[in-house]
Amino acid sequence: MKMEEMSLSGLDNSKLEAIAHEIYTDLVEDACLGLCFEVHRAVKCGYFFLDDTDPDSMKDFEIVDQPGVDIFGQVYNQWKNKECVCPNCSRSIAASRFAPHLEKCLGMGRNSSRIANRRIASSNNMNKSESDQEDNDDINDNDWSYGSEKKAKKRKSDKNPNSPRRSKSLKHKNGELGGNSDPFKYSNSSGISYETLGPEELRSLLTTQCGVISEHTKKMCTRSLRCPQHTDEQRRSVRVYLLGPSASLPEAEGSMENDSFDVAESQALMSRLQWDGSSDISPSDSASSKASTNNSESRKTKKKKPHPQHLRRHQLRGGGGWRPCLTPIAPPTPPLE
Amino acid sequence: VCKMNKDAQMRATINQKLIETGERERLKELLRAKLIECGWKDQLKAHCKDVIKEKGLEHVTVDDLVAEITPKGRALVPDSVKKELLQRIRTFLAQHASL
Repeated sequence: MKMEEMSLSGLDNSKLEAIAHEIYTDLVEDACLGLCFEVHRAVKCGYFFLDDTDPDSMKDFEIVDQPGVDIFGQVYNQWKNKECVCPNCSRSIAASRFAPHLEKCLGMGRNSSRIANRRIASSNNMNKSESDQEDNDDINDNDWSYGSEKKAKKRKSDKNPNSPRRSKSLKHKNGELGGNSDPFKYSNSSGISYETLGPEELRSLLTTQCGVISEHTKKMCTRSLRCPQHTDEQRRSVRVYLLGPSASLPEAEGSMENDSFDVAESQALMSRLQWDGSSDISPSDSASSKASTNNSESRKTKKKKPHPQHLRRHQLRGGGGWRPCLTPIAPPTPPLE
Repeated sequence: VCKMNKDAQMRATINQKLIETGERERLKELLRAKLIECGWKDQLKAHCKDVIKEKGLEHVTVDDLVAEITPKGRALVPDSVKKELLQRIRTFLAQHASL
């Protein structure tokens, strides 16, 4: 070992240079060999010629580098229609008008954030304090109708005759006075207010649905009979509560009466709605929320009496001509008798 | 004979040193990177394609490829790469010759 090191240090430059070249050649041949293995393997595995394309098709996909065209050779047109499809109403709108449209359509943006909030509140139907507030508004009618009138005028420019605020307030009145037989009752997915149902309806509901009454919303559960959220015990007690002593309850009387005019009223409502063309679901929500917050039975039965009369009245004068663009559903002032 | 033997022994020692210190691996990696960078690999691949087409896809062997490619590979290494590599080898030899 010692000998070797001595000899290594004792080498002259030409010898060192020769060795360096030798090492270099070695390395290059290594690289070549590596490449040969690589290519050979690729050939035998059949992927060596995969990246080959024939020159004709290569010409088709050449990158175009000319003024006035993009890299695919297409003429760039700045004014070409760029349209977006609105996810809400599925109309196609020019891109430059899309944001303003969304603002109107979805109820977003500064102007309509309130509308959006209303919509959310009325569709959730969970916010009790909100609906309580609405009740108060209804009772102080002067104030309310004045305010709503102003609001409605303002919103004429929206071209939205069905603005949620307006229709909601109207539905409220409707719900309080004639809410027992709302045709939308069954389409309300968030729950059904049991107080407004007649015994027949109750029975048919309870044979198909869970029906347990929520503590918070005072609504009946609309899921199936085996819904996992409620126990069988809960379901049983609800049925005892609603169906067992129902015959002796004063409510039964009232609701029987309701049944008698149910058909007439719902038909009237339907015809008005058809005339109206496009109404949203909020009436049922507000109606039921109304009824649910109003728990006293006595008040209810009192209220029911004037109801048919009042209804017929606004059938007579209502529907057709009453400020058609704003209040197609019901007259603005409820005749409290 | 004695001198030849001594020469071979010396080369073997140097090679061992190259491998032991890991310098050989480093040099190999450097060369590989440089050759890819300068397009040497692509040139040789194109040449391989010619060779393979000539011999037939089924019949080509590693030996054929090595025989065809190595001379060309050696010739195609750019001067700058060759110089850099030689410089590093010399440095290495100088370091280990002084021991």
